[in-house]
Amino acid sequence: MWGIFGVNMNVWLDAFLRLQLIVLTMTVTVMALIYIERKFLGKIQQRLGPMRTGPFGTLQSVADALKLVSKEDLRPATADRWLFELAPFLTFVPTFMILMTIPFMQDWGVRNLTLGLFYIIAVSGVSVIGYIMAGWASDNKYALLGAARSAAQLISYEIPLVLAVLAVAMVAGTLNIESIILQQDVIPNIILQPLPFFILITALLAELSRRPFDIPIGESELVGGPWVEYSGMRWSIIFALTEYAGLWGMSALTAMVFLGGWQFPFGTASFWGDFDFLYQLLLIFVKSFALILMVMWISATFPRLRIDQLMAFCWKVLLPFGFVQIMINGIVLNYVSDSEVLRNILLFATSSALLVAMCYVVYRATRQPSREERLRRLVMARSTAE
Amino acid sequence: MIGVLKALSVTAGTFFRKPVTIQYPTEHRQVPDRDRAFPILLWDFDVDESFCTGCHACERACPVECMTVTMKDNPKHAEGTSKRRKILDEFFIDYGRCMRCNICVEVCNFDAIAMNNTWVGHELSTVDRKDLVMDREQLLALSKQQQIRPWVPS
Repeated sequence: MWGIFGVNMNVWLDAFLRLQLIVLTMTVTVMALIYIERKFLGKIQQRLGPMRTGPFGTLQSVADALKLVSKEDLRPATADRWLFELAPFLTFVPTFMILMTIPFMQDWGVRNLTLGLFYIIAVSGVSVIGYIMAGWASDNKYALLGAARSAAQLISYEIPLVLAVLAVAMVAGTLNIESIILQQDVIPNIILQPLPFFILITALLAELSRRPFDIPIGESELVGGPWVEYSGMRWSIIFALTEYAGLWGMSALTAMVFLGGWQFPFGTASFWGDFDFLYQLLLIFVKSFALILMVMWISATFPRLRIDQLMAFCWKVLLPFGFVQIMINGIVLNYVSDSEVLRNILLFATSSALLVAMCYVVYRATRQPSREERLRRLVMARSTAE
Repeated sequence: MIGVLKALSVTAGTFFRKPVTIQYPTEHRQVPDRDRAFPILLWDFDVDESFCTGCHACERACPVECMTVTMKDNPKHAEGTSKRRKILDEFFIDYGRCMRCNICVEVCNFDAIAMNNTWVGHELSTVDRKDLVMDREQLLALSKQQQIRPWVPS
């Protein structure tokens, strides 16, 4: 019954082996992602990126890891000892727990949960506690500010994330990731639900505290947010493992929920041949890697948002549109249940119309008056003042 | 919203451009002709002696007093092969003290001193400060090897 790759064994041994495989893959992926991000950012900023360690700097992550592991693990004298030392693990464990329910191949995850999406959302909310613990225990004003900011941001953006995932779950009619993937063999969910995809990408950037939404970290104003006082091993757990494993896990999740996971796109599976597990791995790799590169591209492009802009975007734009999407989905799914084609067309039409509407709302909100208009207003204000 | 897309296209554009950085210690950029590294002495190949006569003009003009010059009678003048009555005996420049102001080059009456415009003048790090005090032979070496690129048309 239980067993890795068809070999029968004890349930606990099987779970242990699967976990080990995930841990190994995660470590390698994290190191590769750090290297890729540094190279990618370098290219975007017309630099070379790491070049000195190994051919084209490929061993840079290994060198960094060695340095971080061998570095002294400092703790401020006034820090709250237990909170300070446990906080990194509290941020890392939720991220790791997300990876455990992700099916990387058909019938292959650590465990396939029936309520997989629900579990992932529930677990990823826990990492906020780690941030607050780190910020409080560091006994540092910047750390505390960063913790307060990250609490505000992570909790706010958790809601659009849930709404986006919920919209897809409504269309799929299930919370099991594996069945959601299996339903996308012809039409991936990004076509049926473009607005939730956009909301999810935005919320994902915020959840991972990546660049346009990195006010909790904010190197230039908060010198690293809740992680100011951390160094060595603990810092590498936070920075390397949590951040990049989170990026990997969330990208894989988005690829599975919206891009069809390990399915060939648009029902071309019969054209490409058998559903081999190598094909599945390759497909999920390509899809999640494309998402990861997109996230890196976005974070290399945009400057940090102000906190009120960040909150306004979440509560005034993403949240109402998410609710409207869910309402429309409910209406469509309830009243157009007999014809699947009509249902799909309606879902696509309403969701893309909502996406356009959302873009228009943002455009109207961020629009600046033209130079002439501003001058005219200035002149008018001055003349009335006199 | 259009600005967002524009910004994304700009970064994508720079991604495909050639990086401006080079691998410095293994690759060197061309130094400009009027690059101003530390001063060195020039060698007169016609009479096979230095241009410098040890007249102390640069030593007196030097704002940071990094130079020490001594003068002697020129043996080649006694033989009649050279027009220089006096020639430099010893010449020390403390590169650790020099501020590369170019004044010594400007005051020199014989165009005997010049600023080093090669990479050699920039890569001089040593472990001991004493090693930065250059004597006559070290100052003349580059000119003797004809590695100095003249930028003033002679």
